[in-house]
Amino acid sequence: MTELDPVIHAAARLRITASLAAIPVGDRIAFPRLQELLDMTAGNLSTHLRKLEDAEYVTVTKTHQGRSPATYLELSKRGRRAFEDYMDALRSVLGETP
Amino acid sequence: MPHDSSRPGADSGASTHDDTPPDAAEAMALLTAQQKRVDSEMMGPVPWLYGIWGIAWLVGFLLLWSAWPDGNPWFTVPWAVAIPGYAILILGAIVASVVFGIRINRGVRGTSDFQGMVYGLSWSICGTAFTALGVGLIDNGLSPELASVYFPSAFGLMVGTLYLGGAALWRDRTQLVTGIALLVVASIAPFFGYPHNNLVTAVLGGGAFLAGAVASIAQLRRTR
Repeated sequence: MTELDPVIHAAARLRITASLAAIPVGDRIAFPRLQELLDMTAGNLSTHLRKLEDAEYVTVTKTHQGRSPATYLELSKRGRRAFEDYMDALRSVLGETP
Repeated sequence: MPHDSSRPGADSGASTHDDTPPDAAEAMALLTAQQKRVDSEMMGPVPWLYGIWGIAWLVGFLLLWSAWPDGNPWFTVPWAVAIPGYAILILGAIVASVVFGIRINRGVRGTSDFQGMVYGLSWSICGTAFTALGVGLIDNGLSPELASVYFPSAFGLMVGTLYLGGAALWRDRTQLVTGIALLVVASIAPFFGYPHNNLVTAVLGGGAFLAGAVASIAQLRRTR
């Protein structure tokens, strides 16, 4: 299988997915912290997150901290699986054994 | 399901190069670099924690050793300087640990909240318990000389034990090795007799933390 998942296979979404995959399962990360880890503008990050959310790869939790709204993000089960499949596909394209 | 606009090549609306699909080697490089970045950002404060505690122990226990009449042969530090100096160093290290501890997991919520909270609370609960035992012993007639044997080793055993717990929680070898080293130092220090147990705790205990700082810097370098 050498087809690379087009949802993940774009520089920005690849970096977003990789960052979210580095967070332990069961944890979610605040939007501003993720933005910091990626050096992306809020607008750009939102756009790419929406594509990942549309594909049901990312789960968005909206909550409140005191009075200010906060958005938390995590890879869904489907997203984590898609990322693992993507890694396997990438390794096989590169001729590495998965 | 992914819609067509996110398919490589079909992304005519993409205004940034961020949407351009990289080739496989570039993709792998991007992925690896980003995951290393996340690890190093999350791990960033760790060497500081070891370093701060290393300095606090090294200087703090050297001060106490230098305050005892039979301690430091080169110079004597008055108790009026040694005790507040020691207290400031330890309190400063505690405050710094809390600040760095919060920074490490900044912006992350979820199932790790519980383990982080319990681990954080363990330090204050154990610190209070070991101190209470020492005060109780003093209350029962423990001499200042023996109290000065008890406290450094009690805290060394406490930190060593908590580090072993931290090592298990976060699968961290540096914490494991530092924890074992502290347990060994705290166990052997009393056999040097007071006040030299303070020197042993300063040099070997402080040294174990500083070695932890060097090891965690090396670990961070490898992930960068």
